[in-house]
Amino acid sequence: MKRYDIAIIGTGPAGLEAALTAQARNRSLLLIGPDGLSPKISKADSIRNYLGLPDVSGPAMRAAFLEHLESAGIRITGGQVKNIYAMGDYFAVQTGGIDSMYEAETLILATGLPLSKGLPGEDRFLGRGVSYCATCDAALYRGKKTAVIGYTPKEEGEADFLSELADEVLYFPQYSGDVRTAPAVKVIREKPVEIAGEKSARILKTDGGEYETDGIFILRETIAPDKLMPGLELEGNHVKVGPRMETNIPGCFAAGDITGPPYQYIKAAGQGNVAALSAAAFLAAKQKQ
Amino acid sequence: MVKVISEAEYGQVQECPLAVLDFSATWCGPCKMIAPILEKLSEEMKGKVGFFKTDVDASPGLAARFGIQNIPTLVILKNGEEAGREMGFKPEPLLRSILEGYLN
Repeated sequence: MKRYDIAIIGTGPAGLEAALTAQARNRSLLLIGPDGLSPKISKADSIRNYLGLPDVSGPAMRAAFLEHLESAGIRITGGQVKNIYAMGDYFAVQTGGIDSMYEAETLILATGLPLSKGLPGEDRFLGRGVSYCATCDAALYRGKKTAVIGYTPKEEGEADFLSELADEVLYFPQYSGDVRTAPAVKVIREKPVEIAGEKSARILKTDGGEYETDGIFILRETIAPDKLMPGLELEGNHVKVGPRMETNIPGCFAAGDITGPPYQYIKAAGQGNVAALSAAAFLAAKQKQ
Repeated sequence: MVKVISEAEYGQVQECPLAVLDFSATWCGPCKMIAPILEKLSEEMKGKVGFFKTDVDASPGLAARFGIQNIPTLVILKNGEEAGREMGFKPEPLLRSILEGYLN
């Protein structure tokens, strides 16, 4: 398997600037995230304090970013990162099943603002009936009753996949618009409020009822950083970083909103730049040894 | 060395004063990633901790007996009694310090 110098997770300003800097440093890089860039960029109304782009709208900023990437010849690898493993001398990044793995010497986390709070019971039952990845854990629920809480339409595919193995799949879409799932998937338009059980998650409580289940899959756009990468040290909900954007795990850096406020585009880009330079310096020091 | 056991060989785990039993599966990403770490720790802790591994698809009874719902799950046993469990992947330094905690 090809081992990249730097894997960058996230396609907001922090991740993109990190990629441009890594490229300028002649490092092989893997940039993973939504390939149309972070959806948050287009949603911004207007940004007034980004150097060189006075009073720019979100969509215009997105277009400028994409153009810059293209001129630099940087390609985005689409997909959502489900797990990151700190293996000591390298990192493994998993985007789906066991075959969807990438390897890199260093890592830059730039996945944006972390989720503030999960559902009551979610943390307690994670790994005991609560999972964040259907393609990873579906085989454990063969012939069982499952519930899937999907926060974006792309999770419908995960529910369909699960329905091939599980006995029952209840799908709780947390977005408006049409839902297109396989006939075996039962769609319930209710809002989950709590996960309950004793030793393991057994009941999903919603604003409309209670559902007995053997497993609950919670599929959000972002996964809390310490769940995404076990062993990562947080400060509140954010990744704890030092002045070189280094985390507690050697070779792993973080940039942008994931590191805490202020939540500003220009700050995110600046941190992405620092993180990539730090990663390049880390690689240089490692190669000297 | 991490010894792969079947359901019938579970007695070997109970004979160890301190044992780590890894529930895993061939299709599981985090299991694959934690395997070399366990292998390394098993060499480091040779003679002090017995390391075992079982496949949940091959040993469904054992998995059910421990109520395994997520893999990898590491069950730590002292004299055959469960003393704790760790779920999911852990980086090597963290896992080492967790297991050392059971040694003291």
